[in-house]
Amino acid sequence: MNPQVPSVLLELAGLLQRNAMPGVPPAERASDLGLSAMLLTVLAEAWDGQAHMLVEENRAIRALLGETGADADLHLSVLQAENNRLRAALIDRHARAEAEGDTALQDRIWAELAATTERRRISTAPV
Amino acid sequence: MAHPLEPRVAAYLAGRMPGAADLSVDSLERISGGASRETYRFRLSWTEGGAARVRRMILRRDPPASLIDTERRVEFEAYRAFHGTAVPVPEMLHLEEGDEALGHPFFIAEEIAGFQASPQMLFAAASDAVLGRLAERKWTILGEIAKADHTPLVDVVPTPPLDGCWTRELDHWEALIDKDAAEPVPITRAAIRWLRANPPPPAQRLSIVHGDYRTGNFLYDAEGEIHGVLDWEMAHLGDPLEDLGWSLQPVWTFGRPGRAGGLCSRDQAVAIWERASGLKADPAALHWWILFNCVKGQGIWIGSAAAFNRGGNRAPIMIYPAWWLINAQDRAMLQVMGRL
Repeated sequence: MNPQVPSVLLELAGLLQRNAMPGVPPAERASDLGLSAMLLTVLAEAWDGQAHMLVEENRAIRALLGETGADADLHLSVLQAENNRLRAALIDRHARAEAEGDTALQDRIWAELAATTERRRISTAPV
Repeated sequence: MAHPLEPRVAAYLAGRMPGAADLSVDSLERISGGASRETYRFRLSWTEGGAARVRRMILRRDPPASLIDTERRVEFEAYRAFHGTAVPVPEMLHLEEGDEALGHPFFIAEEIAGFQASPQMLFAAASDAVLGRLAERKWTILGEIAKADHTPLVDVVPTPPLDGCWTRELDHWEALIDKDAAEPVPITRAAIRWLRANPPPPAQRLSIVHGDYRTGNFLYDAEGEIHGVLDWEMAHLGDPLEDLGWSLQPVWTFGRPGRAGGLCSRDQAVAIWERASGLKADPAALHWWILFNCVKGQGIWIGSAAAFNRGGNRAPIMIYPAWWLINAQDRAMLQVMGRL
């Protein structure tokens, strides 16, 4: 998730502390707390599946790229860094498949890209 | 308790209204939302020529860092270009481009009070008949924007050639994505490659482009009338199909599939716009502009995250568009490209 979850949670913690103090204009307090609640709702939905999603996605992209290997370190930050590396490589491979007219590989990449959006989908999103 | 901005706004306006006496500002409060500007409403009271006056006003101030970087003057002049025309907009009153008065540049405008902008409130309460009337007004007004004289903005924004409108916009948003993307965006990159390989025809005319014309950026009433078109901060000159494409891009269905802007079918919206503008929406060109606007949307959501990540603006409003819309925008791109 971008921005990263730990930095968002730290920011929300500070925001809640500031809003617990007197003197915050009511409309600004309402806006801050309402938005914080919406962010926490998104987090509650995404939390349990994050590591699974990244492992699954990394495995699928390695297969498309012809890479071997697996995710041994399951820290979210490590999985995300590997996901970034693989998705950057996938962009290059997709562009090359287009240049070479390799429609079979293009179709496989498109199918995986559609699958990534299913994995990352949140229930309140408009699409 | 009075908002700390009240005396500063009052001092500024006292300097701008030499005929006013006993000037005071009260009821100043921030309006929720708005990731590109801080928006406040307030009441100004003063005496002039022996008569007591009261006027409700809006203050739009730059935040420390925004999800989009735009010029205050462009937004101000875009509003002024349409004031008193068939495109309803609030009257602009004062523009301040320095930081001295309120810490950041800002403008002050009249408040068009008593109406709603929230899409969620609209879809929760309005009947299909009201949504239909709103759709008629929404795309009629967009047609009026498309056919309006563009010359009021030529001194404040670049004037692209008719066959260069698309490259100017695509170059701009791709550069922002290059700068701001914290993670690789393979769907967006594929969309950009397709857009460059399949350029649209030259614009039919050069128009003022609102830049963010969607449900949520106008004030409506319960009968389906529109009383004010807001949020002109991304206004520029370009292809009128750009605005139509933004209004039709899938994230603005608000989860109401098949309804442009959550209001009516896409064919109905296009027909209303064509009738009002006198222009044609060539299907292939419109497809290009809808996909482009998906890329532009992604640029905005990624930029919002970047403003947070860099520490320039740590407000929660900078996080929510990124978490809520980056994946949805990817899905919208897949949908437009026939891959979902």
